[in-house]
Amino acid sequence: MALSFKPIRSLLHTGTNSWSRWFSYIGLCIGVLLLLCSIQMYINIQQLLTEGGIRKNGFDFISITKTITNETMGKPEQNVFTEKDINEIKSQKFVENVAPLLANQFRVKLSAGEMLPFKTDLFLETLENDFIDTVPPSFTWQEGQTSLPIILSSDFFEIYNVFAPAQDLPQVSKETATGIPVTVTCEGNGREQAFTGKIVAFSDRINSVLVPKTFLDWGNKTFGQQGPIEAARLFIKTKDANAPELIKFLDQKKYKVNRDKTILGRNKIVIQSIFSGLGVFGLLVVILALMLFSFYLQLVIARSKDNLLLLLTLGYSPGWLSKNVSQRFVPIYILIVLFALVITELMQWAFHHFAMYDRPELSSFVHWSVGAIAVFLIALSLFTNYRLVKNLLYKLN
Amino acid sequence: MQLAIRHLLPAYFDQGVTDTSEIWGKDLVFEKGDFVKIVAPSGSGKSSLINFLYGMRNEYNGNILYSDKNINQFSLEELARYRKDHISIVFQDLRLFPDQAVRENIEIKRQLNPYHPANKITDMANRLGIGSKLSSRCGTCSYGEQQRIAIIRSLMQPFDILLLDEPFSHLDTKNSEKAMELMLEESRLRNATIIFADLERIDFFPFTRLYHL
Repeated sequence: MALSFKPIRSLLHTGTNSWSRWFSYIGLCIGVLLLLCSIQMYINIQQLLTEGGIRKNGFDFISITKTITNETMGKPEQNVFTEKDINEIKSQKFVENVAPLLANQFRVKLSAGEMLPFKTDLFLETLENDFIDTVPPSFTWQEGQTSLPIILSSDFFEIYNVFAPAQDLPQVSKETATGIPVTVTCEGNGREQAFTGKIVAFSDRINSVLVPKTFLDWGNKTFGQQGPIEAARLFIKTKDANAPELIKFLDQKKYKVNRDKTILGRNKIVIQSIFSGLGVFGLLVVILALMLFSFYLQLVIARSKDNLLLLLTLGYSPGWLSKNVSQRFVPIYILIVLFALVITELMQWAFHHFAMYDRPELSSFVHWSVGAIAVFLIALSLFTNYRLVKNLLYKLN
Repeated sequence: MQLAIRHLLPAYFDQGVTDTSEIWGKDLVFEKGDFVKIVAPSGSGKSSLINFLYGMRNEYNGNILYSDKNINQFSLEELARYRKDHISIVFQDLRLFPDQAVRENIEIKRQLNPYHPANKITDMANRLGIGSKLSSRCGTCSYGEQQRIAIIRSLMQPFDILLLDEPFSHLDTKNSEKAMELMLEESRLRNATIIFADLERIDFFPFTRLYHL
């Protein structure tokens, strides 16, 4: 027959000073709730701002241009980045990589057929695939290929839809736009060639009309004059677009940063910092509650000292007693953490439903890691209680 | 099993006591089945000896060996196992839980390592004349009754050694004899050693060895 704690339970004077016990329970509940909610909100922000964010694979991408002043106006050679500029930026320790946004050096015209009856001169640019936020597998071109994949800026597309009604042009959705073939005509060096362009993706990060690098290299060689690499815009790949040394370097060089794209990152950092702070506060409250409970346990053991000492004298193992004394509080601890978890779940549901209007990036359910933290907190509370009781009992003997 | 003492002397005793004592400072071995009577006047260290043997105190010089292991080097868990499985005791000061019922006091010890079924508590209590007290709160029982409760409690576990520290100090001769008879029966059942320390010799303990402390 297993040794029962039942006849021993009444030997512990747990009823005394119950206010400190209840204070610790309430404190633990508030602390756990704060901690779980903060973690959940941190994850929510992460999920909400990943879409359209400037980060890719853990890096920030920002575009820079040279500031055009009255002095440099009309002097394009002073407003473009030379190879030397590029190498200088690349050598900075806070810069992971740099890629120039290279433009066409020949004339390009665009017409969209009967459905969208307009013609326009166009510019094409290219950028290393690593720097583009959305690169579908079809974004490739080989010499001899008559179709041309294009990645269009989401902003440009929106601008088109804004001015289209005034020009008697139809407004189109992104889905339709990707299905409309357009004619891209390249001219130069006495030659002309038409390609069937197709929008294969939209970019939230790069305000340009992007084509594969192989096409632009071939086009510049075939229709234009091959000169040194000169780019009006550069893209910088960095671990933190908000790093002070990066901002300082760019300011010193009078390079203009595309601030819009970093504002999202800055806001995200601020909001996540607030919730991190709240999480730390929650953790502190949990620690305080555990400390308060440890005072209560010490009091219980001090008041039950004679009985516990006699049990040890009779041959009860201090390890067994510690385990069973601390296990007495398992149900209430589980109840407290579960209660906090249920409240977190309700808050997440309300946040998703009422504040976020069921946005698909978020879930109405708490993230699994929040549940894991809840389990960890239960284990932590039980372990600290067990250690405390064991130490106290060993001191008694 | 063998319980041995080697040059045992309380740290607070003068070395001179070893000249007159048959236990302090001597080498002794208690074998299984021995009935040892220790006669000692007040203040000669009777309770100290019993407490040393039970591992409750360690303010002594010399060694106490249980099955060749020095009990002074037992960890707290080993000490708990020693008390649960190998040695039992009737304290002079009884050491009962005053707020628990008589049966609960005995059951707390029995469940630790049950040698007898629970109904044996009733049998033994009836035999020692405290059957009607089993549901009473221990603190309300007389000293004589409490002494019998402590005796029954000590017989609930398996043991190789039974330590008795003035176990009949509050009992009349008739009740003492009954209790002694029960303890002898239980010890013989386990082929255990009894180490019985008292102020004077009593006729109804059939000791095999006698020592003067």
